Amino acid sequence: MALSASAFANEAMDLDALLKTLESGQAAQTQQNKQREAEFKSREDQQVRMLNALVSDRNNQLNRSERMETQFEENEIKLGNLSDTLSKRMGSLKELFGVLQQASGDASSKFRTSVVSAEIQNRSDVMDEMAKKMGSTSKLASIEDIEKVWFELQREMTEQGKVTRYNTDVIVAGGEKMNKEVMRVGAFNLIADGKYLTFNPETNTISELTRQPVSRFQQSAADLQGANSGNVDFALDPTGGSILGLLVQAPNRKEQVEQGGVVGYVILAVGALALLIALERFVSLMLIGAKIKRQLKSDVAKDDNPLGRVMKVKDQYPDVAYDTLELKLSEAILREMPKITRNLTLIKIISVVAPLLGLLGTVTGMINTFQAITLFGTGDPKLMAGGISTALVTTVLGLVVAIPTVFLYTVLNTRSRNLLLILQEQSAGIIAERSEKGA
Amino acid sequence: MVLLVDAITALQEFLDTGGQVLLVIAVVTFAMWLLILERFMYFFGKYRGYKKHTVETWQSRAERNSWNAEQIRQAMISKAGIALNSNLPFINVMVALCPLLGLLGTVTGMIEVFNVMAITGSGSARSMAAGVSKATIPTMAGMVAALSGVFASTYLQRKAKREVELLEDKLLLDH
Repeated sequence: MALSASAFANEAMDLDALLKTLESGQAAQTQQNKQREAEFKSREDQQVRMLNALVSDRNNQLNRSERMETQFEENEIKLGNLSDTLSKRMGSLKELFGVLQQASGDASSKFRTSVVSAEIQNRSDVMDEMAKKMGSTSKLASIEDIEKVWFELQREMTEQGKVTRYNTDVIVAGGEKMNKEVMRVGAFNLIADGKYLTFNPETNTISELTRQPVSRFQQSAADLQGANSGNVDFALDPTGGSILGLLVQAPNRKEQVEQGGVVGYVILAVGALALLIALERFVSLMLIGAKIKRQLKSDVAKDDNPLGRVMKVKDQYPDVAYDTLELKLSEAILREMPKITRNLTLIKIISVVAPLLGLLGTVTGMINTFQAITLFGTGDPKLMAGGISTALVTTVLGLVVAIPTVFLYTVLNTRSRNLLLILQEQSAGIIAERSEKGA
Repeated sequence: MVLLVDAITALQEFLDTGGQVLLVIAVVTFAMWLLILERFMYFFGKYRGYKKHTVETWQSRAERNSWNAEQIRQAMISKAGIALNSNLPFINVMVALCPLLGLLGTVTGMIEVFNVMAITGSGSARSMAAGVSKATIPTMAGMVAALSGVFASTYLQRKAKREVELLEDKLLLDH
């Protein structure tokens, strides 16, 4: 209790001291403010002087701008007069320069894509420069420049009719560069080692076409490269490479089969199965047939073939009545039947199922196409046509499997039926004949 | 001679516009007609002698009444039936295959049409014409080939069946 009272006394004394300091401080501040006021007043004059200086400066600048403007107008008129004089003096030459500009511009774009540029480089740059020069009004073409355009055009024409060989770097299918002897046929094709090349003007490189035309055309390229003189047949791309370029987009056999998708592979697998079964049946029916033929010629019934086994029935029951023997015979024939007709139905089923599977693939492909149309609209015929050709591939595969399978089934069925006929009707006859002979 | 050359050129053009499937159809049709011709020659040539020989063998038998005799008769008829019916299934299957091959050609032609569309991106009739002719010509060829064989094959089948029946009537059992 006593402690807290002394604390209060302490605090009260501090507050008094604070009040005193505040009083003296206020006095000091008023003194400072007076000093500042005096300072501001003395500065005001300075500000007025600066303002005056700036105003006069602005007036000076305005005057100068006016002067400049008039000069600019005068210059403009002078310039107009001068260019009038220039065009008057140029006269018909102006038309010539226009033609030159157009010609060099056209030539430049033509040279850029021409395969001749692969051999003779930088021709289009020269032409571009020329076209730019002709386009600007300040420069005139010299006789040398004009002759250069003439020369380049003439060179392109001359090179078009030439077949030349030269060595250069070629990007082969693997991606690496190889130095090869390249043959250029006019302005149309580049070939090396019997392969067609393509010229890429942007990177200025020559590369092998990833997909080459059919071997007959490649052969003609090889023939041309191998020839020294005389006439050689050569398959030329008159579009200078665009037709060959489209070749890359056209799918080959393997890709077309791949387009068939899962259904396509199922059809092919089923077809392979049918082929394997047919092969096995063919061999075994041939062996059985050969044995039966041998049996037909010999008198002794052998155990290794169906006919022999059926004929043995007679020896097994030498004393039974005829109708019982007939029953026994048909029983023996029934026993042989499965071995001869085994798996034939499966081939028949495959021959029916394969086109159906093809149809299934077509319909699913069409569904995909229509879904694509729902998503992207019908705007792009490429999109639709691609899907449709994919859909049709499975039909083709189904037919390709079905046609030989139907044929194989007929062959095998005829064979097996003939064998069965021999068993069914002839075995009894053979037995009867022999029993008569023996009697 | 000029006519012959003209005919060969026309044929070659036809094969070119129709595609490779036409060649297959042509081979199948040729094989079919060879088989049909062979059958006709057999029916009206060799088979007559065979029939006569069979009937004579049957008539020269001492007895034609026992179980043995009946079995032998059955065997004779069956042998004749095998001989008469051989190759007929092949003719039939070729008749059936011709329209199928035509269909195959049609579908491959259609694929070509759509490939052209996919590459050029346009429905230009001129660029699609080759594919369209490849699509239609094989169908027609397959139909014509099948029709040409249908009549012959039906006739041959009926003829074979009748001949077997006639033979059965000739080989009589004594009662």
